[in-house]
Amino acid sequence: MMIGGGGRSSSSSTTAGGTWVSTTSVSASGKRIQREMSELNADPPSNCSAGPKGDNLYHWVATIIGPPGTPYQGGIFFLDITFPSDYPFKPPKVVFKTRIYHCNVDAAGNLSLDILKDSWSPALTITKVLTAIRSIFTNPDPYNPLISSISRLYLADKAKHNEIAAEWTLRFAK
Amino acid sequence: MFKTNNVVSRIFERQIRTPAPGTSVHCARRFYENLVPSYTIYDVECPDHSFRKFTDDGQYFISFSRNHQDLIVYRPTWLSFSCKEEDCDNTHELPPKAKRFESFFTQLYVRSLASCNELICKDFFLYMESNQFGIFATSTAQIQDVPAVDGAIQGVPSIEKITFHLLRLEDGVILDEKVFHNDYVNLAHNMGVFLYDDLLAVVSLRYQTIHILQIRDSGNLVDVRAIGAYCREDDELFINSSSQLSGNCGDIVDNGIHHDQPNSNSYFLSGIKQRLLSFIFREIWSEETDQTQRVQCLKKKFYYHFQNYVDLMIWKVQFLDRHHLLIKFGSVDGGVSRNTDQHPAFFAVYNMETTEIVAFYQNAADELYLLYEQFCDHFHATSINSLYMNFISSHSNNVHALEQLKCMKNKATSSQFVKKMLSSLPYNCQSMSPSPYFDQSLFRFDEKLISATDRHRQSTDHPIRFISRRQSNVLKFKIKPGPEFGSADGRSKKISHFLFHPFLPFALSIQQTLFLPPSVVNIHFRR
Repeated sequence: MMIGGGGRSSSSSTTAGGTWVSTTSVSASGKRIQREMSELNADPPSNCSAGPKGDNLYHWVATIIGPPGTPYQGGIFFLDITFPSDYPFKPPKVVFKTRIYHCNVDAAGNLSLDILKDSWSPALTITKVLTAIRSIFTNPDPYNPLISSISRLYLADKAKHNEIAAEWTLRFAK
Repeated sequence: MFKTNNVVSRIFERQIRTPAPGTSVHCARRFYENLVPSYTIYDVECPDHSFRKFTDDGQYFISFSRNHQDLIVYRPTWLSFSCKEEDCDNTHELPPKAKRFESFFTQLYVRSLASCNELICKDFFLYMESNQFGIFATSTAQIQDVPAVDGAIQGVPSIEKITFHLLRLEDGVILDEKVFHNDYVNLAHNMGVFLYDDLLAVVSLRYQTIHILQIRDSGNLVDVRAIGAYCREDDELFINSSSQLSGNCGDIVDNGIHHDQPNSNSYFLSGIKQRLLSFIFREIWSEETDQTQRVQCLKKKFYYHFQNYVDLMIWKVQFLDRHHLLIKFGSVDGGVSRNTDQHPAFFAVYNMETTEIVAFYQNAADELYLLYEQFCDHFHATSINSLYMNFISSHSNNVHALEQLKCMKNKATSSQFVKKMLSSLPYNCQSMSPSPYFDQSLFRFDEKLISATDRHRQSTDHPIRFISRRQSNVLKFKIKPGPEFGSADGRSKKISHFLFHPFLPFALSIQQTLFLPPSVVNIHFRR
């Protein structure tokens, strides 16, 4: 109840003059986020964790530990997750707060992932999103890049790509 | 064991007996009980300068002109005079000619440091003993409400120009300077700058960067690294070169980010914050091995406070050794204010070489306090070649100081006491006088009125008594600031500060009333 109330107040500040309908939908989204949180807490995917920043249920921070065997090994990557007020009908926005050398992350930290865009479905949960993000550490998607130079290097000379990515991890993600 | 206090028998004893191994310096220092600055020349006529301090090797006496434009350097000399009369014994009054400032100090040179709208910061001076270099600062006026631009922090004032001058004190030649523009460095009491050996750490509060400079023997100030947005000195270069190496940088522009600022920090955590947050994260992660426990722990201890950690700013820094920095982090409100005890704060030990955070404590952490209690001298990182710096009394090397600390500890509530004690960390650089008269194994004195710490203190009309530590009732000497017979106006608030020579029985006391100078300067020495 408390957190649902928090969600309502935050919505009225974001959507000024929010109608009665929108507040209930936000509250519903709050309940949904809360349910996903307990689901995540009960069974977190390995090397991932996430939680709300302060009292705001709609702003989360996630941490992904660079998976062993990848050039991101040993890095701790922080991500900002923002849930829209009409969640789960719109996908959450995910931004890297830690620098990463990755063809699917642009120079501002924005992440390109199909399930966070066109392939979003309300059936997806934060646990699934985290799992998907973790998988791009192991398997980047060079065919839908945000930085094509990195994807080209990945395809042409993977060893060199991994070497640079490992150096980035060492310098910026430790 | 009985030890005589008579100086003659002490000298005799020194002749015939070898002190116990490792105690010879301590035995030699006991002679200071016999040689004390007990004679006072009141209200000495002296140049109207603001006197800063004796350098720690006793070679120079630093002062600034009242208009904060010039540096005046003196060589402290021992008084010598002759008189014509027949019975020139010890009881003889000093001739008036000898009772002057000039009998004790020889002016070496006057050097103009400030130019146009800059003024010398009279609270700032650092001395590099090995090379006899002095570091001085000049700055323009401070501007309060400045918009935070280009990555500057909101709420920190700005100074248009801060210049650090490196001088060879021998002849006053300006060797090099380093300028900070539109920045804020806390210069009062050397707070924002720390010198260790040849390394100088300058904290830019406004840009949240620790600049590490090296002072070369040649007299150059060289940028070694800047810790803040990046951790390694070539990180920025590396980002640029690796994006070039990948061939095409054009597509970064395609994504709507201007390529001429590829390193804008607003998106990402700064280098030092990434290190800090990942350290905190790892600590909690490895603390809990149970999966569900760990998640709960992270949620409560880490994610809930994440933004607070991100918003922490670097307040103050000191070197612990050549590689390790002790960094104090706190909220924006506490960074500029003097009284920082009220604000939550954290301490981090950072290794500049490996760019790792080694330890992280809250300002009420018992663990850090225990380290501070037992190993206080390790926080007093002084340069390796100044031997007598090892004799500055602290509760870790002096049983009397420890007793005093324990007494305070028993009176206070635990967490408040820990906070209060830790609020002195990181230490101000070169803020303690090495004078043997502050050695608590030799003398006892009221620390509220006087201490080795360089600070202005409220003064009373009563003389400050230095009592022998070993014979608890024997008054060894008195230091009385202000006019000989007290001031006419007993009500106005008086502030005094004391400048002790590092090893001679020689000190200056300077007393000011709140309402304007002239200040009263007394010279205390051994006749």
